Amino acid sequence: MRVPDDHCRYLAMHAKSSERLLARAKGFKGMDLELTADPEGVRLKKMVRAVRGEIYRMKGFIRLKPLGGQVLWGYMKPRHRIGELICEHFARRNPGVIVVLGYGSESWTALLWQGRMMQDRGAGLDETLGRLKAALGIPEKENGEDADGANLEGGDAGTLDMDDIWQAYYDSQYCLKRKNLQAFQQRMPARDQQSAGLRLVQRRKEMTLEDF
Amino acid sequence: MVTLEKIAHLASDCQFDSFGSVGPLDPGSNINLEKLSILGEGTRHDVCASTYSPRKSPLPGICHAFTQDGRCVSLFKTLYTNHCSHQCNYCINSTNCSHRVQTFSYTPDELARVTLSLYRSNYIEGLFLSSGAGRNGDLIMEKMLETLERLRRRYGFSGYIHLKILPGSSQAHIKEAMELADRVSINLEAASSSQLDEICATKSYENDILKRQRYIRDLRGEENLPAGQTTQLVVGAAGESDQDILDRILYEYREIGVKRAYYSAFSPQKGTAFESRKGQPLWREHRLYQMDWLIRVYHFPPGDIKWAFDEEGFLFNSDPKLAIARELLDSPLDPNEAPYRDLIRVPGIGPRSAMRIVALRKTRRIAANRELEALGVVIKRATPFLKINGWRDATLKMWSG
Repeated sequence: MRVPDDHCRYLAMHAKSSERLLARAKGFKGMDLELTADPEGVRLKKMVRAVRGEIYRMKGFIRLKPLGGQVLWGYMKPRHRIGELICEHFARRNPGVIVVLGYGSESWTALLWQGRMMQDRGAGLDETLGRLKAALGIPEKENGEDADGANLEGGDAGTLDMDDIWQAYYDSQYCLKRKNLQAFQQRMPARDQQSAGLRLVQRRKEMTLEDF
Repeated sequence: MVTLEKIAHLASDCQFDSFGSVGPLDPGSNINLEKLSILGEGTRHDVCASTYSPRKSPLPGICHAFTQDGRCVSLFKTLYTNHCSHQCNYCINSTNCSHRVQTFSYTPDELARVTLSLYRSNYIEGLFLSSGAGRNGDLIMEKMLETLERLRRRYGFSGYIHLKILPGSSQAHIKEAMELADRVSINLEAASSSQLDEICATKSYENDILKRQRYIRDLRGEENLPAGQTTQLVVGAAGESDQDILDRILYEYREIGVKRAYYSAFSPQKGTAFESRKGQPLWREHRLYQMDWLIRVYHFPPGDIKWAFDEEGFLFNSDPKLAIARELLDSPLDPNEAPYRDLIRVPGIGPRSAMRIVALRKTRRIAANRELEALGVVIKRATPFLKINGWRDATLKMWSG
C-alpha cells in the first residue's frame, strides 16, 4: 500500500493520533514516508496504513439492511475515527437514501441529496434509528428485533433474508480442492469482521475439527 | 452538519426514480435458493472475476469476502442458464456429460433484482455473468443483454459488470455488450485450434473465438468497455505445455489487446468425457500466473522468460523469477548503481521497491540491508544477488528453490 500525499488526513483519524505526531507528519511527503528508515517515520507510516486498511475493510465488510424504503443501516464499531468517512462512502453509493452506521454509543448518518452531502452524528445506532422511524413515520412491527438488538425490521414480509441469499451463493463458490484457510484468515481478519458486525463467513455445515 | 429530522425530511422528498417499482432492497419474493446455488456453482471454475475498472470515477475495488480457498468474492458470479448445447469434454453442463444436474435459468428481471439487492446491501461490488449456450446461443445472449440493460437503465445500477461473450456471438450483440459492461471476455479454453478440437467438437477456434475477440478489439473506444477484454484457458486438458500457453498469451496481449489472462487448472468432473484424465496440480496454475505477472507487470521480454522452461516447455514447481535470475545475473548487483531494468530481475525486488531504490539513491547511498528492507525488498531472497558497496552476503540460498 502506497503512502498518499494526504497522509495527514488519515493520521488524524488514527485512535492514537496527537497534535505532536500530526505536526511531525506535515514535514513529510508521501514518498518521504515510503522511503524513510527513521523509527518515528516508520511509526507514522504504520499508523497511516492501519487507518487505510481499516477503511478498506469496513467498506467491504459492512452489511446494510433496509428500514422502510428510505434508510439503509449497518453495524460498525471501528477502532479508528473513520465513521464519518465510511458513512459518506455508502451515501454516495446510494443517492437519495439515508445511510446510518454505528453501534451502542456512537452513530453516523449521511444522505446525498441533490449532489450535496448531509451529515449528522448521533449517540448510538438504536437512538438514531428510533428518531428516524419517528421522523419518517415508519411503524413499529411485531417481532422486529434483529440480531444486533436493534428494534428493526429489514425488508418486506414474504421476501427472503439477504443473508440467506448471500450464504447460498457464497457456499456455491467454495472449492474444496483449493482450500487455503491461511489466506482466508489473512484476508478476513477476525478483528475487522467484529468491527463490522459480520458473521464469520464460513461453511458451518461442513466444518471439521481440522478447521479449528 | 444538519439535524437528523432535516435529513429525514429531505429523504422523504426524493423520488427514487432509479429504482422504479422494485424499491431499494427488494430482491423479489420468489428467489429459488437451489437455482441460485446451482447457477453460482456453474461458475466456480471461472476464475477471471477480479474487479478492475479505470472509470473516470474509479470503483473502489473492494474485497467483500473471501472463500476458504482464499479467493475474493466481490462479484455475484453466476450463469444465466446451465443448459448448454456445446460438447466441451471437461464441462458438467456439456450435452455429452452423463451426470447432469437439473437445468435452471433466470429471467432478466429476476437476475437484475437479485444483483441489485446484493449490491445495495453491500454484499457484492458487481455482477459477473456467464452462461451455457442453451438451445440457441443468440437467444441466451439476448437475454443476458436484457439483464444488463435492465440493471443499467431501469434500475440505475452503477456497479461493475463483467459479461462473458458466448462463442460465435454476433457483432451487434458484442457491440451492445460493450456499451453496458465494464469488461467482457471470451474464453480461449485452449492454446491452439488443434487443442480446442481435442477438448470441444462444437467450437471453432478461429471463427467462434479469435474472430469475436478481434471484433471487441476493433469496437473498443473511449466511451465503452472501460476495463477492456480478458480471456481464460483451461490448463492441461489437451496436453499442451506451459510454453504453448504463454506463447498464445503473448499473442493475445500483443495482437488482441487483452488486458489479462486467467488460468484454470483442469480438474476432471464426474460424468464428463474427460472424467478419467489426470487433473492438473494447482501449482501449475500458480506458476503460470507468476510468469504472466513477469510479462505484464515486470515487462520481461520473451528472451528472458524462455529461461524458466524445461526442455519440453514446462515450468518447474519453483519460482520462475529465480530460475531466470540464475541464468541472467552473472554477478551480484550493487543497488546503488544498477539500472531499474536489472534491479527488477533480482528475486525479492519488485517494480515498486525498485522504484523506491532509484528514488532514494538520488539523495544518498544505500549502506545496509535494513535500508533495503524498509523499502520493501525481501532481503532473504534478494541478498544472494546483491552487493552493497562491494560487500556481498553470498550464501547457498542463491541455488535453492
